[in-house]
Amino acid sequence: MFIRSAVGALCAGLIASSAVAAERIEFMFPAPVQGKLSREMQKLVKEFNSSQDGVEVVGVFTGSYDDTKVKSQAAAEAGKPPAVVLMSANFATELAMNDLIVPIKELAGDTDLDGLMQEFWPAVRPNAYFNGDVYSIPFQNSTPILYYNKEHFKEAGITKAPETWAEWVDAAKKLTKPEGERWGIMMPSNYDYNGWLVQALTMANGGQFYNNVYPGEIFYDHASTQGALKFWRDFAHQHKAMPTGVTNSKQVSTSFFSGKASMIVLSTGALTFVRENAKFDYDVAFMPRNIRNSVPIGGASLVSFKGTTDAQKKGAWEFISWLTSPEKIGHWSRFTGYFAPRQTAYDLPEMKKFTAEHPDALRAVEQLAYAGPWIATYNTVAVRKAVEDEMQALLSDPELTFREAAARAQKNADAVLAPYAEQTALTLK
Amino acid sequence: MNKPIRETPGSFRSARPYLLLLPAFLCLAAFTYWPMLQVLLASLSDKKRVGDSGTFVGVENYFRIFQDAHFLGALANNALYAAGTVIPSVLFGFLFALGLRETTNLSSILRSVLFFPTLVPLVGAAAVFIFVFMPDIGLLDYYLAKLGVSATNWLGNPDLALVSLMALTTWKNAGYYMLFFLAGLQGVPQDAEEAAKIEGANWLQRLYFVIIPMLGPTFAFVMVIALISAVSQIDHVIVMTDGGPNNSTSLLLYYIYQQAHEFYDLGKATAATVVTLIALLTLSFLSMRTVERKVHYET
Repeated sequence: MFIRSAVGALCAGLIASSAVAAERIEFMFPAPVQGKLSREMQKLVKEFNSSQDGVEVVGVFTGSYDDTKVKSQAAAEAGKPPAVVLMSANFATELAMNDLIVPIKELAGDTDLDGLMQEFWPAVRPNAYFNGDVYSIPFQNSTPILYYNKEHFKEAGITKAPETWAEWVDAAKKLTKPEGERWGIMMPSNYDYNGWLVQALTMANGGQFYNNVYPGEIFYDHASTQGALKFWRDFAHQHKAMPTGVTNSKQVSTSFFSGKASMIVLSTGALTFVRENAKFDYDVAFMPRNIRNSVPIGGASLVSFKGTTDAQKKGAWEFISWLTSPEKIGHWSRFTGYFAPRQTAYDLPEMKKFTAEHPDALRAVEQLAYAGPWIATYNTVAVRKAVEDEMQALLSDPELTFREAAARAQKNADAVLAPYAEQTALTLK
Repeated sequence: MNKPIRETPGSFRSARPYLLLLPAFLCLAAFTYWPMLQVLLASLSDKKRVGDSGTFVGVENYFRIFQDAHFLGALANNALYAAGTVIPSVLFGFLFALGLRETTNLSSILRSVLFFPTLVPLVGAAAVFIFVFMPDIGLLDYYLAKLGVSATNWLGNPDLALVSLMALTTWKNAGYYMLFFLAGLQGVPQDAEEAAKIEGANWLQRLYFVIIPMLGPTFAFVMVIALISAVSQIDHVIVMTDGGPNNSTSLLLYYIYQQAHEFYDLGKATAATVVTLIALLTLSFLSMRTVERKVHYET
């Protein structure tokens, strides 16, 4: 322990003595969709570094969203807090709660942050705030969206994309060919993606999924979530329109490209990936509804860990401002398929030109009118995993009932939330 | 010629062995014993995250993990996984060594081929095996389809995922264990085998009465390292399944990682670490004992 702090002091001393050079700051970023994204991100970092000489950003690729959270926390625990991290948008809440990240006002000096947030879509704002302060600046955002193979639709005699769950089931059944030759519908059920889609189905079923005011409550054992679990499970076991067991996002996209799946649900962040790999006529559509059109936000925002120097904070804000400027955020959106969380990006001429050529890029933006925040609670990953385990069990085990699964998910999630509830809602504040 | 100095207790002479041991001991103390002690202390506290101060809570964390279905599941998974990797990989390693005992051109090539998987990093092997196990379009399903077996969701089915991981581990380790057995076979004295031959023992009898007893120490050693690797390697779990589907491939080390780094529960993580260490030590001790009974040592 004391060795570590001695080394830290030594490093700090070295950095202080070499203040002639640019301020070095560390930037950790994930790439949950595909390898091309991390290369492009390094390019952006290079561009920023050569655009000025006060700050030098060191880009570090850190894998998946969940891995990025673990790695950045580990770095902070080791006394090397990263100045900028591209963090899954829903983790900012618990990181702020655990006092690991700083409110953005500590970086931004006298920038009017509430004014700045007005430039972002309303749907992405709730995940950025905690206790009335901005803790993260949205950078790449997404919603789940339905990709479908138009050629298969024509062949099956389906004229338009399904808009309701009933139409969705009907289309999936019609599109399926027996013996696993072709699946009507595939959705990723690996951890992280899984919870996001259970939330999407729950919201489309009229549900809240979690208490987005108080981060100590989750609604798994409620009709809206039960219905979502049942609906997804039935695709596999009852309608036989989806493979049983867990399929990850890679399997889902590969099956779509090879014509083994007619409809898939993926993030809009995969839009460019699909556009480049689908060698057939495809289109995207809103997530179908049962009670209402509603989807959760996904994607990632920029946060800054606690314990950096003032100079590093200043550098971090410079980089964050540059990265989230309408031009750069728009460029990233066109490159990836994520929608740009900053509305003003869509007023720029190059964005207007792009969306005219690729109307599918607008679908996610149109769906924003129906989007809500992403599950963010105390200990989010553990709470999320409680329902993901059950969803995976439902997809694998035809004997398991959705009621049993929902009840167990609730029980396990409540056990995770209990310590927080004890200290908050069950205590006189 | 000087007269030898009479040794007195406490002189440099008697301290010398300890001085020679000191560097190694200091390294071990700093990187093994001290952390072990820290883990033990943390397991008796209510620490949530690294850096917490935490207060002493006695053995509460141990009660908590033994009431945690996920921990018990990881324990059961790991026991299955250990049986399903140690037995086949040691057996294959032994059989490969027997078959490739004579040095010929062909056997040299085959030895290299069988040893090759050992050189592949586990993370890389796991990434490749994701594609081997891909349903329908993966390597495995491609060849099974030729035999008329329909697509199988190897890693997405809770009943098959762990078995798939066992197959990867066996593929990766058998060639490595083969090396130890090849070395062990070098040490089997020719005269013993020839004597058995002259006595009219057939190949199987020679194997059972001469070779296997002679390889006792090798078996003991290989079993122990195979057992330790069954508990200490989780790269493939992280790359291929993340412990899923529904925790069916969650092994002890993965559970520990998750509790410590994802769920902010250092108490559970450290208690599980202590339990894992005790289990490993016990198993190592037992396997050493059982195999040693059958060991033949040259006198």
